Amino acid sequence: MLIVQLLLSGIQTGLIYALTAAGFALIFGATRIFHVAHGATFALAGYAFIETAGAGLAWPLACLVSLVVAVGFGLAMDAFVYRPILRHEGSFFTIFVAAFGMVVVVQSVLELAFGRSFVSYSSPLTRAAPVLPGLYLAPVFWVAVAVTIALLGLTSLFLGRSRAGIGLRALSESPELLRAFGLSARRLSALAFALGSALVVPGAVLRAATSGLQPSIGPHVMLISLAASIVGGIGSLRGAVLAGLLLGITEALVVSVLDTQWSEAAGFVLLFGFILFRPSGLLGQPVAR
Amino acid sequence: MLQRRTLLVGTAASAALLLVRRPGFAEEAASYVIGTLFPMAGPNAEYGTIFTAGAQMALSHIAEDKMLRKPVELRAEDSQGTPQGGATGMTKLASVDHAIYTLIGFTGVSKAAAPIGQRNKVVMVNGGGVGPDLSGLAPLFWNVIPLIDKEIAAALPWLKAQGKKRVAVLYVDDPLGNAALKQLSDALPANGGALAGSFSIAPTAQEFGAIAAKVRDSNPDAVYFASYGAQQAQIIKQLRDNGVSQLLVTYSAATIPSVRDLAEAEGLVYTSQASDWTLGDPVTQRFVKDWRAKYNGDPTTYHQNYYNAVRLFGLLAQSLEKQGKPVDGEALREELLRQRKFALVGGEGTFDDKCNISFPIQINQLKGGKAEKIG
Repeated sequence: MLIVQLLLSGIQTGLIYALTAAGFALIFGATRIFHVAHGATFALAGYAFIETAGAGLAWPLACLVSLVVAVGFGLAMDAFVYRPILRHEGSFFTIFVAAFGMVVVVQSVLELAFGRSFVSYSSPLTRAAPVLPGLYLAPVFWVAVAVTIALLGLTSLFLGRSRAGIGLRALSESPELLRAFGLSARRLSALAFALGSALVVPGAVLRAATSGLQPSIGPHVMLISLAASIVGGIGSLRGAVLAGLLLGITEALVVSVLDTQWSEAAGFVLLFGFILFRPSGLLGQPVAR
Repeated sequence: MLQRRTLLVGTAASAALLLVRRPGFAEEAASYVIGTLFPMAGPNAEYGTIFTAGAQMALSHIAEDKMLRKPVELRAEDSQGTPQGGATGMTKLASVDHAIYTLIGFTGVSKAAAPIGQRNKVVMVNGGGVGPDLSGLAPLFWNVIPLIDKEIAAALPWLKAQGKKRVAVLYVDDPLGNAALKQLSDALPANGGALAGSFSIAPTAQEFGAIAAKVRDSNPDAVYFASYGAQQAQIIKQLRDNGVSQLLVTYSAATIPSVRDLAEAEGLVYTSQASDWTLGDPVTQRFVKDWRAKYNGDPTTYHQNYYNAVRLFGLLAQSLEKQGKPVDGEALREELLRQRKFALVGGEGTFDDKCNISFPIQINQLKGGKAEKIG
């Protein structure tokens, strides 16, 4: 029964990883911008939810505030940080440093505004109850499953069926061709940031309820997003979701055979394994050199 | 010729100016520099804020009382709660800021910084780290906090009295956590108990759902965890959320708002040094009165410790000034070992030969977001 319990724990953690990584994968897939500040978006969204819910706002409204904050920050990053850099030189290193700088700024702002303490959202949905002898499950497990399926379905539908979605997919391939079809690369880039930042909200809210947050969570989130994006296949939304799930399950199951402190490391061993033996990831396209 | 003479005079004047400006050569420094080496960013930053607040109140009291002939300056370095940060920060405090007295916390940070501080004759006072190997770490390394071995020794008889025989231990894989595990493994059988299981975690770990499943599977009567910072709150929340309903026990690192304010921490038992804010001695009374006036709440033992650490400097330096002796690391240590007993917050503090303070330990339980002494 311990293995089943670990598997369920891993799925729950993995779904939250998947939701965390999906936005980063979408932004990178469409714009090829290494959006390190995705971790800052996550932290802002999480804090916006906890603080507004803590102030007495109903949780759906708190989620809405969180969505507005996340999308606003994503759009601001695109308009005021990445776009000016891309206009001049647009080197990977400059973008990386600028985005990383924003992570530090956001962390400091959160520390100043809300303190350096751990914060969490207390909800009965996170309390596990026995469903079978020795097997515990919290309602948040089903919430995570439903939200992930719904979001992945809706996003896939948007990317596959709508004109803007197809434009987003084409953005990374050929911005010039987009112009020929009357689409604006600039607007599509903003759309990618808005959508990618919006996708971070469910992960941030679930994380606030299950593990809690602190101002320095940004780099940790980024690490998970990056690992999931590489394992899933760079730029693949579905791949990132699958990889997030795989990372969570691996971290949980490994403690059944190894010492518990290897839990987090196991995810990164998996990452190295993919880099060495399947660099294109789970659903990525191999690129000929 | 004139140019050459001007150049020589200029060079000599510059050299003289440099020598005069260097503290301790032609004149003494204009102020005493106390350095702080606390985590100010990252998952343990909450401690840095708490530690600094205690030190700042002592500084304001020293200034109000005009205890010293020179002002005291506080210079802060961020240790990040890591040994690397500790080594870098101590090097800067000793070599650049010329601190003669430093406040330090965290076991790993202390162990990395101690050789550097000792080499530069800088006193290091720990009021937050509780690893047992911090005792006698260096001649200039002092502890104003009882170490974890004293806390565990107090917790075990209490657990026995409560009939909690099987104890699962969840510990951070670092010097502090390993020391806690070793002591519990050795001492539990002697106290009629048994180790139900031991579960190590990385200092950076944030997900404990799977570990909670293993802890539950070990079927303990109580769970002792040795961690610190935000991770403690994550452990408590995730253990409770994942069906671990047994008694949770830990040590004094839990005396932070993150843990105190957590709904899931209700019933948490933790040891700490005795902190009686109703004591009638003037030092404790003034500290508690001013603290409540400034922060509208009671202080914690960490506030007390770093207040005491700075007050100790004031008392020692004052005594050295009266004797006409220089105020430096060696002289401060000599004076500490000469006097041994000091009027501090929490009563009279007594230092042993290794410069460790002794305070009684009490057992607390969180009830309704407040700590209640239960043993």
